[in-house]
Amino acid sequence: MNDLDKLAVQTRWFLALLVGFENLALVSWLYIAWQLDLSGYILWPGIAAIVLIGGLFVALIGGHQVLKPIRTVWQAVLHISPTDHGVVAPDLQKLHYGRELLVNLIGQIYQLNNIASSQASADQLEKTDLKNDFVATNMPLPLVVLDANEIIVFINSAATKYLQKSAEELIGNSIYSVLDMSFPNEHTFDLWLNDVKMNNVTAQNSWERVRFGLADQHSLQFDLSAYYNKDNSRGYETMLVLFDHTEQYSQDDQAVSFIALAVHELRTPLTLLRGYIETFQDEFSGKLDDELSTFMHRMAASGEQLAAFVNNILNVARVEDDQLTLELHEESVKDVISGAVDNYILRAKVRGIDLECNIAEDLPTAALDRVSAYEIVGNLIDNAIKYAGNSNKIIVSAVQNNEHLIEISVQDSGVGIPTNVVPNLFTKFYRNHRNRAQIGGTGLGLYLCKALVTAHSGHIWVRSEEGKGSVFSFTVLPYSQLADELKSGNNKDITRSAHGWIKNHSMYRS
Amino acid sequence: MTPKKVLCIEDEQFISEMYARALTKAGYEVSVEFDGASGLKAAQTNQFDIILLDLMIPTMTGIEVLRHLRDTSETPNLKSKIIITTNLEQREDVRADIERQADGYVVKAELTPRELVAFLEKLN
Repeated sequence: MNDLDKLAVQTRWFLALLVGFENLALVSWLYIAWQLDLSGYILWPGIAAIVLIGGLFVALIGGHQVLKPIRTVWQAVLHISPTDHGVVAPDLQKLHYGRELLVNLIGQIYQLNNIASSQASADQLEKTDLKNDFVATNMPLPLVVLDANEIIVFINSAATKYLQKSAEELIGNSIYSVLDMSFPNEHTFDLWLNDVKMNNVTAQNSWERVRFGLADQHSLQFDLSAYYNKDNSRGYETMLVLFDHTEQYSQDDQAVSFIALAVHELRTPLTLLRGYIETFQDEFSGKLDDELSTFMHRMAASGEQLAAFVNNILNVARVEDDQLTLELHEESVKDVISGAVDNYILRAKVRGIDLECNIAEDLPTAALDRVSAYEIVGNLIDNAIKYAGNSNKIIVSAVQNNEHLIEISVQDSGVGIPTNVVPNLFTKFYRNHRNRAQIGGTGLGLYLCKALVTAHSGHIWVRSEEGKGSVFSFTVLPYSQLADELKSGNNKDITRSAHGWIKNHSMYRS
Repeated sequence: MTPKKVLCIEDEQFISEMYARALTKAGYEVSVEFDGASGLKAAQTNQFDIILLDLMIPTMTGIEVLRHLRDTSETPNLKSKIIITTNLEQREDVRADIERQADGYVVKAELTPRELVAFLEKLN
C-alpha cells in the first residue's frame, strides 16, 4: 500500500466522521427539543413543529454547505488515488465559500501527486540492474561501465568476448589495472576523465586508434567513445563504448609512406657500406699505408654522416606528423655527451679537427631522451665541422647556469654567422645564402635541434661573430626538477603511457 | 659448448651473407632463408636459439611470420629469441606493438655486423 492509498483511506474515515457530525447536529436538536419538553406546551405545538422542522432544515443545509469544501478535497484525493477508479475530478465552479483557498489546496494535492508518481517511476528504474537490461547486455558493441572510482561495475557480453577476459576478471577492478590502453598521443582517456571530474557534470569524448594488448601479445585497435555523468544515482558514472578497427588499422600500419619507403631504400645500401667498411677496417688495419688508411677513415665517416642524415629526415618527418615522442629519463650529462662526441670523432678527425669535451664535474643528472640528446649534440657538432673553416678545434661543454638549468654548448672558431641571418637559423630549410654554394647541407639540422630541445622544455640559441666562430647552446632540465613536476602532476605535457611516463612534444612547430 | 644456432630470414642476399660471415666468425652456426614462407617452415622444423627476422620479405611479411611463430597452437615449443632486423621505418606505436611480440628490434643501417654480434651476445 503506497502513501496515496493511505491518504485515500484516511480521507474516507475523516469524511465518515463529518457525516456523523452532520447527523449529530440533527439528533442534538431533537434532544434539545425533548429536554425543553416543548411538546408539553399545548399552546406551542405549532411553534414547536415549525422550530423542529426549521432546525432540521438548518442542520441539514448548513452541515452540507459547511462540509462541501472538505468533500471537494476528498473527491480530489480519491480522483488521484491509484486504487479508486471512477471517481471524477471535483468541479471547483460549484464552490461558494473559500473557493480561492480550495483551488490552491487542490492544486497542491495534484502537484504532490505528480512528484510522487515521477519519483515512483524513478524508483522503478532504480531497481533496473544493467545485468538484466536487454539492450545493455546484448548490444553488439563492447560496453564498459565505471563507477566514481573508475572501478568496472558492468561489462556486457560483447566486451568480454572482444577483450578476451571473463566478467569476473574485469568487474570490481580498476579499469587501469585490467584494461591498460595505449593512446596515439598525450590526450589520453585518464587525463580527460580527471579533467571532466573536476570541471563537468556531463561530458563526452572520443579517441581514435586506441590499442590494447591481449594476453597472446596481439593488439586490438579500436576507437573509443566515453560518456561521463557526475554522481549518477546508480553509480554508473562513466560509460565506454569500443568500436573495433583492428583489421583496418593494422592495414594502415602496414601501408608505407613515401618517406618510409625512401628511407628504406637509402638504408639498404647504407647497411652494406657500413658493414663492409667495418670488415675492411678490421682486416686491413695496420696493413694499409697512411693515404689508404685516411681514405678508409673518410669512407667510414661518410657512412656515419649518411646514417645521421637519414635519421634527420625521419625525425623531421615525425615532427611534422606529430609522431615524435620523447621518453625522459635520468641520465648522466657526461655519458650522453661523450657518447655523442664519440660518434663524431672520426668525422672530425678526417677533416683535421680535434673534438674537446669540457664537462663540469659537479653537474646534476639531467632529464633526457638519450637518442634525441645524441641527435641534438650530433647535429651541432656536424654543423661546427661543416663551418669550421680553417680552424681545428671544436669544444663541447656543459655547465649548470645561474637558473640551475644544465647548459650544453658547442663552440667552433670557424666562419661565424652574419647577424642578419641569426633569427632565421632555426627555420626549416633555411641556409645562409652566402655559404650555400660552398658547403653542403639541407637546413634540417637546426630546425630539428630546436624541436628536440623545446620538447625537453629547454631553449636553444647562438652567439656568433663573422670570422671568429659560433657558440650554439641549449638548456635541459636537471632531473630533480622534472621529478618534482611529475610528483605534483600539474604538468599537462607529461602523460602516462603503457611504458611509464612520457613527454609528448608533438605540439611543437617552430 | 655447442655453438648457438641462428636463423637469418633476409631477402637481401648481400646483407645475409655479411651477417652470416660476422656471426660464423663469432662462433654461431648460421642458416639463411630468403623469404617468409620458407623462413617460417625452417623456424618450425628446427630449433634455433636466435631468429633474425626482416620485415619486408617475399611470400609472407615478417609480421605474419612473427604472428605464426607466436601462435602457440601452431608453434607450441618455440624457444628461439626473435630479433626483428629491418630498415623499414614504422610509426612509433606500430613499432612498439611489434617490439612487444619480439625479443629485440634493430635497424640494420644503425648497426654494423660487429655491433649486431655484440647485441646478440647481450641477449642472455
